[in-house]
Amino acid sequence: MKNGVLLFSSLIFYGWGEPEYIICMVISILVNYILGLLIERYSGSVWGRRWLIVSVVFSLGMLGYFKYADFFIANVNSLTGFSAPMLKVVLPIGISFYTFQILSYTIDVYRKDTKAQKNLLSLATYVAFFPQLIAGPIVRYTDIAQALDKREHSLLKVRIGIRRFLFGISKKVLIANSLGELCKIFADSQERNVLFYWLYAGAFTLQIYFDFSGYSDMAIGLGKVFGFDFQENFNYPFISKSITEFWRRWHMSLGTWFRDYLYIPLGGNRVGRMRWLFNIFLVWMLTGLWHGAAWNFVIWGLFFAFLLMIEKLWSGSFLKKMPDSISHVYVMLLVIISFVIFDAPDLSTSAERLRSMFGMSGLPLTGIQSAYYLRSYFVIFVIAITGSTDLPRRVIGRIRETPFGGIFLTGAEPLVCVLLLLLTTAYLIDASFNPFLYFRF
Amino acid sequence: MKDKKTNRIIVTLTGTLWFLLSLSSWLSPTHEISASERRKLAGFPEFTLKSLVTADFMEGFEQYAKDQFPCRFLFRTIKAYVRFYPLGQKDNNGIYIQDGYAVKMEYPLNEASIERAEDKFRYLYEKYMEGRNVNAYLTIVPDKGYFLSNANGYPSMDYSKLFEMMKTNTDFAEYIDISDLLEIDDYYKTDIHWKQERLTGVADKIRSILGEEKERTGEYTEIEVERPFYGVYYGHSALPMKPDKLKYLTSDLIDDCTVYNWETGKTTAVYDMEKLSGNDPYNVYLSGAAALLEISNPAVKDGKELVIFRDSFGSSLAPLLLDGYSKVTMIDIRYISSDLIGDYITFDDQDVLFVYSTSVLNSSAMFK
Repeated sequence: MKNGVLLFSSLIFYGWGEPEYIICMVISILVNYILGLLIERYSGSVWGRRWLIVSVVFSLGMLGYFKYADFFIANVNSLTGFSAPMLKVVLPIGISFYTFQILSYTIDVYRKDTKAQKNLLSLATYVAFFPQLIAGPIVRYTDIAQALDKREHSLLKVRIGIRRFLFGISKKVLIANSLGELCKIFADSQERNVLFYWLYAGAFTLQIYFDFSGYSDMAIGLGKVFGFDFQENFNYPFISKSITEFWRRWHMSLGTWFRDYLYIPLGGNRVGRMRWLFNIFLVWMLTGLWHGAAWNFVIWGLFFAFLLMIEKLWSGSFLKKMPDSISHVYVMLLVIISFVIFDAPDLSTSAERLRSMFGMSGLPLTGIQSAYYLRSYFVIFVIAITGSTDLPRRVIGRIRETPFGGIFLTGAEPLVCVLLLLLTTAYLIDASFNPFLYFRF
Repeated sequence: MKDKKTNRIIVTLTGTLWFLLSLSSWLSPTHEISASERRKLAGFPEFTLKSLVTADFMEGFEQYAKDQFPCRFLFRTIKAYVRFYPLGQKDNNGIYIQDGYAVKMEYPLNEASIERAEDKFRYLYEKYMEGRNVNAYLTIVPDKGYFLSNANGYPSMDYSKLFEMMKTNTDFAEYIDISDLLEIDDYYKTDIHWKQERLTGVADKIRSILGEEKERTGEYTEIEVERPFYGVYYGHSALPMKPDKLKYLTSDLIDDCTVYNWETGKTTAVYDMEKLSGNDPYNVYLSGAAALLEISNPAVKDGKELVIFRDSFGSSLAPLLLDGYSKVTMIDIRYISSDLIGDYITFDDQDVLFVYSTSVLNSSAMFK
């Protein structure tokens, strides 16, 4: 009954934004439900493997068709001189997320890490569950298999869930959207100078963090309200002291997915050096490609592959000896550069933006608009930078340890929740700009 | 025990607030327009199978839900306060407050738009006026940003360049510079427009250039409208500002004039008192936006005619230019195609004045 209500609500939620493509998700669920049962039935035999291959090919085929077909055609056309027409397929919202969730299910059934779900309703609820359906985190079936059949609810869980949801939506609406406005102002502006490029780069880096982690917070919070415990997706990535650490803290559900279903099956680091490097190359190229069918995403992934290789081969131990401040600057500089590549519509734009950031385009250092927007967004930048670190959490921890700190925080919590609810409502009512960056993935 | 109590408080508080907001959304009556924002609000979208499949219904519903949200202006004000004060942002929805004036950031200078305006004015001149004993004049009304933006660090268009471009490329018209006669006090605090009661100097200068026989025939009587005037920027900024006082200047000459609206076929007085109780009291001047208006001045028989190509700034200026003209025709090419003007007006032995604000020149795509 509970799953039925959740599934029904989830389908309405998905259909609200993508009524046409609800059928794709339903077909994907049905096919993989049957394949899951077949994989388990023929477990240990060659047919078990064959059914798994069918599942992988089917799921990746759907993803490939909707997400990569036109990218593939465009590249073939440019390489061969053909002019094959584009399919102009519309990307169903969240297909990358639910495809990876379904794959984790069938692969885990094949690996006997979990039993196949006999109840179609339960499996459909897992795939279509609305809080994480369209922008993650990528929830593993094994993580919530038990909760799908039996889950416990408590007022405490609802309270934690509401609080987490409200913090998430505030991160998204109050901070990410504000920074997004600045990125849009930059894009629309004719003024170009070094300061404006840095403002944009910093704003986008923070925007994507607050947007995506805010969405994950909302999903985790709503999951809690409904009795599910989802894996964390972010762990203060901007306090990292190396790129390796950054990727242990950023989009963790995707990172662990690729680690468990691709990197380790390829042999991980327990292979020869060249093969190991190839594994890193492949995983990060695909991580980039997962984000979008464009070369800038591939380059973005390979940029991290390159950095990770360097850290693993040479600079990793050196970084550990460096003062924290230098490690942080090193990480943030590279992360900001990576997101400039990530956000650019094409490679030449990303190159032009990077050149301009480093004063290699002959641009002036500052201008009227950039100075204005630096002043106008200064407080938001300070809040965003502080909020992206674990400083607020540590401060709250310290307050809790004081004699009356616990009482103060307990009393403040309802007020903060109500305040955030009213504030986000106010911002949403007056919003003309409200993108969800990760919806497009 | 304490935790259980806090659990209950948080869940009850947020749940109740959520429930009440949702309930009041459903129960509150649908409003057609937002008086403060001067725009039509979204209504409940059409519910059909097609609109459902194409997601048009959902998009429409989201706009409807935002537009019809209970206490919408209060929530917008909360947002504006948070942006301006704790977050220290300098503008809200592109409107900033400086010295008590709400100002729209007009930037950057859209040179293509200025060139389009020049081309349009030239086209009008060549099509209707060239070789027909018509004297053309051009005057440009600076917006509030001209006085406040640069001095206070706000981005603004390059006004000098705009004036220079317009002057240079409209050599068929004599340029009347009024920028030195204006200051920020001549504009409303909450609205885009200038105050008519402060325009006598501007009108005198324009009349003196149009011709000596156009001298003002007498003093104006200043009448203050009782109703407080909340201008267009009041709603856009969403900040609680003090209202302006709307005044209009009248005289026996102005009182005797009549205004014919070619679109509606109605004849009204120069000042349309009905508009004072409408959404935009500034429409008291010549009834507001209109494609083609004809003001007849019975005090001057067989006198010269004046044709004014104008935007909304011209509405409050025109009554002060009536002296000496038997007829003043007002044309707003944002609402009438330039090619149709000849169907209504024969250009011959007239004075023609182009009166445009910098904001409109910078967005001239709206010219037809």
